[in-house]
Amino acid sequence: MTTRELNRRIKASIEEGADEIVIKNPSARHNIAVGVRRPCKITIEGSVGYYAASQLDGPEISIEGNAGWALGENLMSGKITLSKSAGASVAASMRGGEIFIGGNAGARAGISMKGGTLLIAGDSGFLTGFMMQKGRIIVCGDIGDAAGDSMYEGTIYVGGMVDSLGTDAKYEESTEDELIELWAELERNGVAGRPRFRKIVSQKKLYHYDTLERLERTLI
Amino acid sequence: MCGIAGIMYKDSRSTGLAPIGEELIKMLETMVHRGHDSAGVTVAGESLDSDLLIRIWADESAPAEETIARAKETVISEGGAIVSADARDSYLRLTANYEGDVPRLAEALLQTPGVVLHSIGEASEVIKDVGTPAVMDERHGISRLSGTHGVGHVRMATESKVDISHAHPFWAYPFTDVTVVHNGQLTNYHGMKRDFESRGHVFQTENDSELIAVYLADKLAGGAELDSALEASLDDLDGTFTYLVSTRDGMGYAKDRWSAKPLVLMETGSVVALASEEIALRSVFTEELDRTEPQEHEVMTWSA
Repeated sequence: MTTRELNRRIKASIEEGADEIVIKNPSARHNIAVGVRRPCKITIEGSVGYYAASQLDGPEISIEGNAGWALGENLMSGKITLSKSAGASVAASMRGGEIFIGGNAGARAGISMKGGTLLIAGDSGFLTGFMMQKGRIIVCGDIGDAAGDSMYEGTIYVGGMVDSLGTDAKYEESTEDELIELWAELERNGVAGRPRFRKIVSQKKLYHYDTLERLERTLI
Repeated sequence: MCGIAGIMYKDSRSTGLAPIGEELIKMLETMVHRGHDSAGVTVAGESLDSDLLIRIWADESAPAEETIARAKETVISEGGAIVSADARDSYLRLTANYEGDVPRLAEALLQTPGVVLHSIGEASEVIKDVGTPAVMDERHGISRLSGTHGVGHVRMATESKVDISHAHPFWAYPFTDVTVVHNGQLTNYHGMKRDFESRGHVFQTENDSELIAVYLADKLAGGAELDSALEASLDDLDGTFTYLVSTRDGMGYAKDRWSAKPLVLMETGSVVALASEEIALRSVFTEELDRTEPQEHEVMTWSA
């Protein structure tokens, strides 16, 4: 079965009212279960390739394995659960819903994120939260270099060490209320431990563009 | 894009050679969407009954049979004794006994009209062609080649022209057995190329990736270990790169500081496999496997 046939069959099954869809032997193929825009339950038994479960609005997808690049790209609502590790650019441009990574995430996790929650039980790579605009990234382990580089808004919570902060990012202490909420979130996802999460937010020095364009100057 | 793959059976020298050719073709064929322009493999650690394995392609300047005959004459006139010669279309696979200086033989072959040298190895060979891996396998019988390790490539050309010689792997002329497959683009290679040229090195193509092979071989010839040569390349090379290198008995990867190009790694006690995408690993290893994703500014090496 080609990936296109598989994706058509998933959508047709949902139309026909299937409660739960199980995909076996995905063999790390790309583009599995993309573009599903209705609430439903899909289980993928094995690792997936690039762009798995991307462009979704509503489904609950559970993947038992690893994922390649750009898992859950542009998620609008619903939940994606990955049992092992994700490649680069997980949750790119995500706008809502939840993505849970049981292992580690690669470089540029949550790049250009615009909403929702990305929860990573392990470590997260280089440029996590790059140009993030809204939402939350919760990393229970460590983050690589340039964390939160050029982020506009949103929050990165980190339980472990950070190799370095990116341009225009800064640390803040989490409040007790925030910690209690985060710990509850970990518990809901079966993650043990109660890390003292630190927050990374934008300094907002890059946020305001003081230099006006020539036309704008003539208008003042 | 471009797709790269590498595989090594760590104990195969003592336990029996592995089907490296067949497995590289499988891995590359699953990544063919990453590049249709050309494909190529290095099969290393082959069992040979001669000193050298020479891979030649006859360009279009003369009928292939004439060029192939001239290449054989050159090897003989340089003091080599031909053990076997397998000519297919415009390709020649030559095994020979040769006790002289390899760079001298390489130079003599390059001076032979119509001859394009794809590799000279003591235990490895480069096979490359335009088109897809499956087509290449049909033409060259790569699946029949056994060895200890190897690397392969499918190319989507971004940087120099599409022809047989600009396909990967690139052999580090004239250093035996050092070949490289590269996914990415180098931005400082003109300057580095000029440095090598001022020291008398002759590049075989206009491709940036050839520089990586020569750079590494030069470091290895200067006494560096493979891992320190790879380590040095992380800062000396500028641009985006994830590349794999194959040597006589070693294999390794280097990944740039931006983590711009993908790579997944699967390793057990006896085998290590690397590829741009996990789908390639699964074409060879069907059981649920644990793979990791190497991160930025990283190198790793193995030996067989």
